Parts: sequence; structure tokens; C-alpha cells
Amino acid sequence: MAFTKVTGKVVSAEVRPGGEVLARRGAMLAYTGQVRFSPVGAGPGGGYGGGMAGALGRAMAGEAVAMMVAQGSGTVHYGYHGHHVTVVDLDGGSTLTVEADRLLAHDAHLSSSVVFLGQQGGLRGAVRGAVTGQGLFTTQLSGRGSVALLSHGGTFPLQVGGGHQIVVDPQAFVASVGDLRVDVAANVSWRDAVGRGSGEAVQLKVSGQGTVYVQASEEKL
Amino acid sequence: MSIQSTTPQPLDPTTLPDHDNVPGNAYAYCVRLTQPLFMQTGRMIAYYPAPGGQGIRFEPLMATSLTGMVAERFSSPLYSRDWVVANGSAHVILGDRGFDINSYDLDQGNLTVRAANLLAFDASLELKESIIPGFLTLIGTGKFLASSSGPVIFVEPPIRVDPEALVGWADCPAPSLHFDAGWMGHFLGAARGALLGTRSGEERQYDFTGAGTVLLQSSERMMEDPQVLRRLEGEVDGLGTGQLQRLQQVIQSRLMQQQQ
Repeated sequence: MAFTKVTGKVVSAEVRPGGEVLARRGAMLAYTGQVRFSPVGAGPGGGYGGGMAGALGRAMAGEAVAMMVAQGSGTVHYGYHGHHVTVVDLDGGSTLTVEADRLLAHDAHLSSSVVFLGQQGGLRGAVRGAVTGQGLFTTQLSGRGSVALLSHGGTFPLQVGGGHQIVVDPQAFVASVGDLRVDVAANVSWRDAVGRGSGEAVQLKVSGQGTVYVQASEEKL
Repeated sequence: MSIQSTTPQPLDPTTLPDHDNVPGNAYAYCVRLTQPLFMQTGRMIAYYPAPGGQGIRFEPLMATSLTGMVAERFSSPLYSRDWVVANGSAHVILGDRGFDINSYDLDQGNLTVRAANLLAFDASLELKESIIPGFLTLIGTGKFLASSSGPVIFVEPPIRVDPEALVGWADCPAPSLHFDAGWMGHFLGAARGALLGTRSGEERQYDFTGAGTVLLQSSERMMEDPQVLRRLEGEVDGLGTGQLQRLQQVIQSRLMQQQQ
């Protein structure tokens, strides 16, 4: 079930039995109908898939954004701190990778997991997390359904593949869908250490096949 | 509801504009880079390197391979640390803290813009510091990008403007400071010390006269300008001991006020 855009910063979702919605705790703005909200253990890992390993992963990762589940039947409006919301629909064939603190809400039947960046690109992945301040873990969502993402300044999708490579600023990187490889292209010189650098020393080089969601601002949430 | 309505088509170099806002997003701007471009640091969001190209080099002005050109075009030591020259061929996407971004064409003209709002400008333009602190003047022919909090409003002088709502001005004489008459009367009548805390926030205005265009932003939300501090630090050098002690007192009383 998809989210409906109400404004650029608010989405609404239909909740029905068998169609629960998981959302960041505190993101509910309003609702109609008979809807109950209950906290979910430690993120999606607590109650919905992932189990113990997921919960443990989150706790270790600091990817511990508390989530809540909306059950019952009705319509719920979601928004968070006036940030822009982007809705991404997953067709079941590709995986969405996103930082937990950029996740506003998603269909509860999507399976989510916390991934150690080192698994994706070995040491490079771990270095990427450390250098860009994203941490060593990230959240992956897969299945068929919708995800609502938070961003500063709104997002736009950029295509990777078909001969196109792209370089993204780490602070502007929101999420990616598909089979992508993200490398750190560090160009750090002594000038950056003393604050006289280009300000664009650390960049993410994305290659493979898929879509990158980028926000129109370099501000983190 | 169809899925397409919520998911815009992904963009790639064939669908990105050569010099326009990114479709569907007023806060991001795409430039097709073919010649050197001056950019404020930290405004690059993403770029597609041109096929077969080497990508882009972001060169700090202090360490550029184009020293002669930079020295000629960028006439502002105060701001030189915050700017880079982007060189290469690519589609570059720029963004500025989620503010609206617009492109402006100058044709044998001059335009002054708030330094924090200026994102990028063609190397065909010349940059100089305005004598109004915190503003930069562009002279010549070419394009530049500037951001604003909300869309820009164009008005003609004579007009008085709140300093925070001012984005810039073109072709008209530099503004003078105007103080609200009621406030001035209060100022002249009261002891100076007693005046602290009586400011309404609207008594200080920029006064534009003559022919030209004034650019306003629709919000007074202040963009923090790191240059204000740097400029003040630079001016402290010229002060004597007594003046420094006086400044220290002023700063301490301001700090006390803010902590309350």
C-alpha cells in the first residue's frame, strides 16, 4: 500500500488489518478511524523480522531509531520536524539502503535488516562509514511496498548505470535503490586538515545499476 | 492511485537540464560544466562526470592551477578561503541548505548580492567586495547562481528594506542606513545605557534611492554569515588597549543578556 503525499512534508497512509505501517516514534501527526499505536522493541528488528540478531545489530550500530507500529483501520498522517518527505515504491525486486534516521515510515510487511557496511565492500565499506560520519551500519529494506524518507530540502532521483557513473557529496546522500557499489573517493590533503581545502574532499563514487536519492542540501538531519 | 504519481522518473545526464533548476525541485540547480566555475565550498551535491572525462577538480583558490585568472577575477582576500574553482566537464548539481536557487544573467552590468547567498558564478564575471559589509559585487557579463529563503521579489527604489530580507541590488547606488524616526527620538532622548533592550528589531533599515532594482527574499530567516566574525576579528587588530577593554565589556554584557 502506498503513502499519499498531502504536502511536501506530510504523507498519509491507509492502515487496515494485515496492512500495518511502521513509523518513526513521534512522527504521527493526526489520524482518523480506529488506529492503535504501539512501540516496537528496537526498531523493525524487534517485532517484525530480524529477530534477536536485528535488535542486537541495531543496538551495536547506534542505528537505534525507535519505531512504532500503527494497527487497526483508518488513515494516519505522518511528518517529522518539518523535513521534506519522499515516497519510494519498491517493486519487490530491489533493495533500498538508507540511514535509520532518515526513515520516516514504511509498510510493515517490508523486511528490514541492519547491515554492516563492511559486508558490502569489505574494509572500504567500513572506511566509508567512518569517513562520512554515517556510521558502520546501515538499514536495508526489501519486499514489495512503500517507504517514506526524510530529507532536508527535498530529494530527487538520479540514475546510475547505462554508462553513467555519479559522484555524490556524503552529506547530500539520502538513499539508494538497486545493485550499487559506493566507494569513497577521498582527495584529502594537508590543506583540508587546516581548513583551507576545497570543502569537497570526501566524495562518494557510485557505480552499478540503480537509483540514488540525493537531497538538495548538505545539511544532515 | 498510481505508483508513477509518487515516484518521479530518475534523472540522468540526458534528462538533466544544461543550466536550470532540477525538474521538480526549486532547491537544486544543475549546471553543465564546460569552463571554470567559481563555487562556494560545500555547495556541490552530486555530479555526473562527462563520458571519457576526468571528472571535476575542485581547486581551493589558494592552490589553483589557474592562479592568473583567479587573481584577476576574484578580488576578495576575505572570502578566498570559502571559494573553489571547479574545473572539468560534467553535469554538476548544486544546493544550498534547502533554499530556493535562481540563475541570473548579467549583461555589462553590476549586481551586489549578500555573500552568504551567492553560490557560484562564471569566470567571465569579476567579483569584488562591496563596501557594505557582508555583500559581494559582480561586474561584467555572465551567469551566476544565488539562493534565497523563499522566491526572490524584484522591487524598484525608492524603498526601505529590512537588512535580513535584502538579497541584493543591481544598477542603483549603494544603500544608506536609515533609522526609524520614532526610534531615533528615543535614542536621542534616552541615556545610551538605558536603550539596551528597547530595540524592536525593525528600527534599522537599508534605504535605496535612485534607479535600479532591489532583490528581496520573502523571509527574514537569517543565513548565518561566518564572515561577520572574521571581519570583526580583522578589525580588532587596529584597536588600542582602552578600546579593547571597552569591547570586552560590550561582549560580556551581550553574553549575559543571551544567557538570561
